[in-house]
Amino acid sequence: MFRSAKQFVLLPVLAALFSSSAFADEDLDFFESKIRPVLVKHCYECHSKEYGQAKGGLVLDSRNGIRKGGDSGAAVVPSEPSESLILEAVRYESFEMPPKTKLSDDVIAHFEKWIEAGATDPREETDEPIVQRTRAEIDWNKAKQFWSFQQPQKYDVSGNFENRIDGFVSRSLKEKNLTANPPADDRTLVRRLYFDLIGLPPSHEEAAEFYAEAKEDRAKAIQNLVDELLASQHFGERWAALWLDVSRYAEDQAHIVGKNKTLFFPNAYRYRDWVIEAFNQDLPYDEFVRLQLAADLLTPEDATDDVALGFIGLGPKYYRRNSPEVMADEWEDRVDVVSRGFLGLTVACARCHDHKFDPIPTEDYYALAGVFASTEMWNSPVDEKVEVAKNGHAKEPKESLHIIRDKNVHDIHVFVRGDVNSKGEVVPRRFLQILSKTEPVAFAQGSGRLELANLIASEENPLTARVIVNRIWAGYFGTALVGTPSNFGQLGAPPSHPELLDDLAVRFMENDWSLKWLHREIVTSKTYQQSSELSTNSMSSDAGNRFLSRMNRRRLTVEQWRDALLKVTGTLDSAIGGPSLTPDDRDERRRTVYSGRSRFQLNPLLAMFDFPDPNAHSASRVETTTPLQKLFVMNSPFMVSRAEDFVNRVESESDDIHEQIEFAYQTLLNRSPQADELGLGEAFVASAGWQQYAQVLLASNEFLILD
Amino acid sequence: MLSKAGTGFGMLGLAGTLQGMGLLNRETQASQGNLEQLHVPAKAKRVIFLFMNGAPSHVDTFDPKPALAKHEGEQPSGKLYRPSKGSGYMPSPFRFAPHGESGVVMSELFPHMAQCADDLCVIRSMHTDVPNHEPGLLMMHCGNLQPIRPCLGSWMSYGLGSENENLPSFVALSPGRPVVGPQLWSSSFLPGEHQGVAVDTNDLDIEKLISNLKHPTLSRPQQRQQLDLLLKLNRLHIKQRQNDALLDEQIKAMELAYQMQSEASEAFDVSLESKEMQEMYGETPFGQSCLLARRLCERGVRYIQVYYVTKSGKQPWDTHSNNNEQHRKLCADSDKATAALLSDLKSRGLLEDTLVVWTGEFGRTPYSQLDKKKDPKKAGRDHHHTAFTTLLAGGGVKGGLTYGATDELGMVSVENRVHVHDLHATMLRLMGINHEQLTYRYSGRDFRLTDVHGKVVEEIIA
Repeated sequence: MFRSAKQFVLLPVLAALFSSSAFADEDLDFFESKIRPVLVKHCYECHSKEYGQAKGGLVLDSRNGIRKGGDSGAAVVPSEPSESLILEAVRYESFEMPPKTKLSDDVIAHFEKWIEAGATDPREETDEPIVQRTRAEIDWNKAKQFWSFQQPQKYDVSGNFENRIDGFVSRSLKEKNLTANPPADDRTLVRRLYFDLIGLPPSHEEAAEFYAEAKEDRAKAIQNLVDELLASQHFGERWAALWLDVSRYAEDQAHIVGKNKTLFFPNAYRYRDWVIEAFNQDLPYDEFVRLQLAADLLTPEDATDDVALGFIGLGPKYYRRNSPEVMADEWEDRVDVVSRGFLGLTVACARCHDHKFDPIPTEDYYALAGVFASTEMWNSPVDEKVEVAKNGHAKEPKESLHIIRDKNVHDIHVFVRGDVNSKGEVVPRRFLQILSKTEPVAFAQGSGRLELANLIASEENPLTARVIVNRIWAGYFGTALVGTPSNFGQLGAPPSHPELLDDLAVRFMENDWSLKWLHREIVTSKTYQQSSELSTNSMSSDAGNRFLSRMNRRRLTVEQWRDALLKVTGTLDSAIGGPSLTPDDRDERRRTVYSGRSRFQLNPLLAMFDFPDPNAHSASRVETTTPLQKLFVMNSPFMVSRAEDFVNRVESESDDIHEQIEFAYQTLLNRSPQADELGLGEAFVASAGWQQYAQVLLASNEFLILD
Repeated sequence: MLSKAGTGFGMLGLAGTLQGMGLLNRETQASQGNLEQLHVPAKAKRVIFLFMNGAPSHVDTFDPKPALAKHEGEQPSGKLYRPSKGSGYMPSPFRFAPHGESGVVMSELFPHMAQCADDLCVIRSMHTDVPNHEPGLLMMHCGNLQPIRPCLGSWMSYGLGSENENLPSFVALSPGRPVVGPQLWSSSFLPGEHQGVAVDTNDLDIEKLISNLKHPTLSRPQQRQQLDLLLKLNRLHIKQRQNDALLDEQIKAMELAYQMQSEASEAFDVSLESKEMQEMYGETPFGQSCLLARRLCERGVRYIQVYYVTKSGKQPWDTHSNNNEQHRKLCADSDKATAALLSDLKSRGLLEDTLVVWTGEFGRTPYSQLDKKKDPKKAGRDHHHTAFTTLLAGGGVKGGLTYGATDELGMVSVENRVHVHDLHATMLRLMGINHEQLTYRYSGRDFRLTDVHGKVVEEIIA
């Protein structure tokens, strides 16, 4: 009854010509009695047209289906048991099928015998195609109509507005029958500008200086103050925090096996300091992007900016890396941080299937993943003296700059359904189709990082400028123009002020991608400078303040709050840059941006106050208010210590209780105490003492919440 | 029960984040009697997850394999199994016997749990994806091999909130650190308040147990006086700001923190238990952690993880050598504590709606791991992911049930197989949640604990 393979080649032809009588009776009997019932009972539920299920692209209720197989290849190759995946699966050698209960050894033996004998299969053929990797039918012309894929443009601002932002905001307010709030008072404004631009409160003297100038010429005083704060070295410290969230900056790994620290990044802080410096120097944003993806390729002869490559190089390295499935996970991290971070697109969604909502087919994901598959995480030696292994890596982590370089440049296969064992077609490394005017050109220079960087940092890219403008905007208003800062796709929030966003984005590019231009444009608007009072009108028709009829009242970020505690108590160490520190150490007096960020365990203070998990890119911080935060404020050694510092400061200022309380209010809140506050303070100090009083003032809402 | 209605500990920060989800949103208050928001009626209200770090050997505990004696010394075949350097299949030296009316079989290492046999649901057909601790632990906790997903406890906290506004909804008890550590109780992309509050149970002194629970110098009346002043100042402040809800939220959180100090101090204080009670659980770190878990569960903590680790060992059950002796020791401790927990919960009427899980991250090889030159008594067993045993009890699972089976030698689970994703789906179901519907929109798509997997094991649900 055993046929040779040669004979068998004819079978499909015969089967098409004749009815099932073409098969030997005993073979048919074997199929009908031993094979078909098993398929029906154990397989059809997930793999048949009858049930409408084709898991893994596999259907088993037709001859074509079983022979053609699914995503991984032929399930049955007649007479070739070793090539028939169905046998591996039922033996639980690769797939484990059926998943719930392994077939008995007898049944498995029947399948072996059946295949060896040529896999007689009389089942009717149908014309319907076998399910394969389904591909999205994207109507590219239609897809490009979506707002975020169209080039941003400038719009007319009717009316007389010194700052175009106010023109757009006031137009939408008018449409909603809303009116903007009046300007914030001097005290509110000076605190807002200090906290927002440099992340620190103004001292009593600094505020007083502004009040005096404002009395003469308010507009000029504001102008001068903005100039001064934008030029401050502290500006970069404040705004670097935003980028460290975006770039999922961290200095270690989530997986730590024993005391193995070989995958740690002890010099990561140099990347953080590079970001601070870039912001202070007003490095154009397009250049900022290019350097972080391809500094080594941009200036091969000059390694000064290679530290910027930490954007990728400080990414997570997973356990058992170098195995195919783990590297596939790492590529996803790289694609994710680049696509969400720079473009506001969730390309990683397309790793296992075409993007369900945006025009991003799976092959586009693998076109980008190929760039990172052609890139190596490199422990670059910090200087020439460092001992280097044969492969060019510095031997010690502490002597390494963790960056990237090209290695093993190659295109990769699509992994069907994200499964590394299920290879689809090879995709050339290239940019996303939706962001390409014509058919995207395959990258030709090394990994393609520089070509990728240039396509991102391009005026022709409709997303890059919009995305960063939106992130910076959110840093000032607490809410973003596009409420989902890392998703400008179909499922993202539509912009609250589309024309404003586009106009700002275009002018930002016209101003050579100058971030300081953007910052200045925002803070000099009346929209930004208005008060945060809740008017009845705005609360009834725009409670969420989507249309910006008031400034948002905001809780300080943990960086602003902790730095303020240090500054008001007169103990802030304002040195710029350097190795990382532990922010809840009671004796630590440097700014919070210098905190170590750990993927293994985030510092509890940072975690408590809404720091994002640096294992992945973070679009924005989710703000929570919890009793655990308040326990820290009430009881932590850090807070008790700050109160002690403050008492020392107050007591060295004056012996007189009135003067002391006046000084405390001016220092903490830039104002004098009101009469009832003074009375309450005096009585409390008399009974409980200054230490307790100081802690109350430091714990007050007014110190935490910015008007 | 001390459970209360209201916007409690877990709820406070939720307002903004739940809006987009529209699921299990409890703005309408009450943590009980809210079943229309659950997907199915809940059988369990809280979970105690006992985790045997390092992975217990299934063939020495709950999955007897007499055939191992017949095949002793033979080498395993199949490409999944590394050619063993050891002496082949190794029978368990422990006697197995049926217990209780149901006749659930376990080895002699569990004399106390044998008394609870009729409450146990023994799943013998567990399997997971890889035989390595780190990814195995992450799979068991977060349903993913990489550290980029929220853990089961965080999902439960997110979906169900807390039963007690003055206590955290999710607590992780561990004497020292298990392998992997904080990622096992990480909320990942879920809002931070759903992260497990990690408590090091090496020192049960209440002030060392939870940071910042007590002011270093002030007495409670002094602190009340202090907070009264703070409240007055904050009220003056909010009055001039149109009673902005943002400010009110801060005031409420401060009051809650003050309440928490006393309630948490009491809840976490094992020394308030009688000497007999402490002895019943066993005066080991694991025993006392189980006792603490019972106190917390009794007071409405939603999800409690208890790790079996020791001061010196982050994964004591990882018996690559001395498997038999080690299991004798480890099981003695775990048996006593687990049985005490089950019977204690039962006598308090809590077992019926508290789900207790006892498991490792995978199983151990039915064959030995041993340098042939060494003493065979010191043989160990290696990691084994294609078959292991998980115990469930209480919380709506069928007691006295043995579910699923491995093959003759305990190599592969072959009958009614249960993947970790299936276990997760089942646990969520018991809590009233459809695992396909508890989702969180992040990074452009809806994530869930079981990703695209998971099938509820209906057969074990009472």
